[in-house]
Amino acid sequence: MPRINGLGVKKPQARVAVVAAGVVSPLGFGLSETLAALKTNKDCVSPVTAFEVTQCRCKTAGQVSDHHLNEQLDGRKDRRLHRASRMMVAALGELRTQEREFKPELTIIGTTSGGMSFGQDYYRALHRHCGLRRSPQWIANYPPQKPVVDAQEAFGISAPCQIIANACASGTNAIGHAFECVRSGNYQRVLTGGYDALSELVFVGFDSLQASTPEKCRPFDRDRSGMVLGEGAAVLALENLESASARGARIMAEIIGYGISTDNYHLTQPDPSGSGPRRAMERALLSADCSADDVDYINAHGTATIFNDAAEGEAIRELFGQVSVSSTKSMIGHSLGAAGAIEAVVCLLALQAQLLPANINSRNPDENLKLNIVGNESRAAKIDIVLSNSFGFGGTNASVLIQKATTI
Amino acid sequence: MSLRIAGMGWVTPLGRGLNSVWERLIRGDEATAQPISDPISHRRYCAFRVPDEKLKDLPLHPRLRRASAISRFAAAAGLDALAQARFAIGEIDLQRMALVFAISNGGVIYTKRFYHDVVESGAQSASPLLFPETVFNAPASHLAAILGIEGASYTIVGDGVVGILAAKMASDLLDNEPLDACLIVGTEEADWLLCDAYHKWRVLKKEPPIELFHNPPHGMILSEGAGAVLLARKGSTQVDAIDPGGNFSNRREASEIVRRILHHLAVDDGCVVASANGTFVDLAEATAMEKELPQSVVYSPKRALGESVGASAIWQTIVAAEALQTKQLPPMLDSGPYTRPGVDVSGGRAIVLSCGLNQQVAGLRLSI
Repeated sequence: MPRINGLGVKKPQARVAVVAAGVVSPLGFGLSETLAALKTNKDCVSPVTAFEVTQCRCKTAGQVSDHHLNEQLDGRKDRRLHRASRMMVAALGELRTQEREFKPELTIIGTTSGGMSFGQDYYRALHRHCGLRRSPQWIANYPPQKPVVDAQEAFGISAPCQIIANACASGTNAIGHAFECVRSGNYQRVLTGGYDALSELVFVGFDSLQASTPEKCRPFDRDRSGMVLGEGAAVLALENLESASARGARIMAEIIGYGISTDNYHLTQPDPSGSGPRRAMERALLSADCSADDVDYINAHGTATIFNDAAEGEAIRELFGQVSVSSTKSMIGHSLGAAGAIEAVVCLLALQAQLLPANINSRNPDENLKLNIVGNESRAAKIDIVLSNSFGFGGTNASVLIQKATTI
Repeated sequence: MSLRIAGMGWVTPLGRGLNSVWERLIRGDEATAQPISDPISHRRYCAFRVPDEKLKDLPLHPRLRRASAISRFAAAAGLDALAQARFAIGEIDLQRMALVFAISNGGVIYTKRFYHDVVESGAQSASPLLFPETVFNAPASHLAAILGIEGASYTIVGDGVVGILAAKMASDLLDNEPLDACLIVGTEEADWLLCDAYHKWRVLKKEPPIELFHNPPHGMILSEGAGAVLLARKGSTQVDAIDPGGNFSNRREASEIVRRILHHLAVDDGCVVASANGTFVDLAEATAMEKELPQSVVYSPKRALGESVGASAIWQTIVAAEALQTKQLPPMLDSGPYTRPGVDVSGGRAIVLSCGLNQQVAGLRLSI
């Protein structure tokens, strides 16, 4: 459908293909490991090992294996990189095995905290008046754009980087904006995704808000008591579908819609009515020119906090009725800026495998929400269009619609 | 698509208000550095600070009650830009306006306080009031709440280039979305921790002046404040082109990317508002300008205003727009081959060039 921009001009719209993807998360390294873990409903949450958590209520997180990350180190320069850079290098490395010649014109990546643990190392060294020898290295590798620049450099890419930091919605905002850039016809190829590495400051922050739980993460459950954090990186190669098809590229899926909204209710809490998430989902449907009935599965933001799940659940029930819903954060935790990107990859895999990923740790579904939760076990289903939600601090809400690959 | 500047606002160490800061720059005034002490190792640094009284007339909005300086600077600059735009082009439908924030170091004061409590007394001392203010998009969220914006709001992070990348994003949004305008805001707050970090990274000097285009470079002085530009389809200054540039892996490569951007944006009759700040950036820009635009009149506002990182490219853009409007550039003092008194510029075009400290380079061109 042509789109009318602010000038009232009807613009033809390009279709947007996902031609390659790469992922590193607690579910595993790469698409194959991730799909296998989704099929077996793997619980990837484990006790935190990277820093002290004895004074925190929550003591667990979804963590990426350092052993795997370190296996990929290549020389002295790599050893200086932040874990977040190594995750981005691994994710982009997988993408490049599928599309070796993918040269983006623009890179749009979401994150919330960049190389935060290097900032912590620096502050702790200052505080104890010793160990500052490595401070120039920490400072140079701390900025949020660094892991993205590092990953690009590793593969000879020098595209300009827009790093979106819209809190927990960052990854979905990045994919959504990248989608709009390609759909407008102004760009042919955009690299997008998100990353975040677990850090003490952020972990303690969510704990101080009592947003994280000492128990299991149970999204949309009556007994839900909060989130657990996670980490990881995921990247998607977006390309004009017509040109991708013309060169014979493998089309993994199509991104068909994006919605963004801002909820001004509170810096950290959503409007209880669910109006913010609802507007984002409605805008995604409008952007895709499809109806709520066309959506077969929703990968919810589903943090398992009392307020998020109530607001999101209300909005989903009002808009979509009994569509299948799950939150894969139950398996891997909430990876913040990476969440939307990892969950977009989960949606790609769900479409390819015709699988509804599970909402594990479900015990007593919240009857007030009246949602059709894919409880505990993944299951086969015919799915053509899926919606992925991400909502964050600051009232940022983002939804993307992804469609199974079709021929043009 | 015609992309124009409809309104501007800035909060700087030389004051607040478009005309008053511009007049001071034209007079050759430089901000006065204030000492900042590191309470841990008792080192002394200097920074250019925004005078407290410049924010006294901010609206009494609940969101600003606990907000950090970075959010308050941003709100002041953003509201000033909107006020100027309303005067210039009439009422703006805020539901058809997007917000794009350019952030570099973010809310470093609250982040440091939050983590200091954790380091000193353990996780149980962490403040749930401070943590939300440490998030990069807190300033954008506060301004969105003050203005009642319910649509697109993005915060993008990067080095000193981030303001130009924000302008690029705004340009893409205006092209794709049913929007009339996009408010871009760059903001930064100064703190001893940042001074110490930049000093350890060997790009900061302890006392002014910032000596531009000196070889070897002696370092920059950090500053704080915010700049805001309302991009729309009406307005007196046109954004001709935005080059989002690329990333350099070493300093020689920085110069080459700057050269490529200049080549793309170059015009015979333009002036250049550079990002030279007393660091390696100066050499990268000077080398590129010698190759591509050897006759151009060059100005960098950083000797007068300091290096405000997240706000810096927006300040440069405002300087370029003001130069085009008033047909003059402020003086460049003690700046090697670019030293000169204030000059008239009549070409009608200006290039804003930005080379960041963390590998990013970009530029844009304005005209009237």
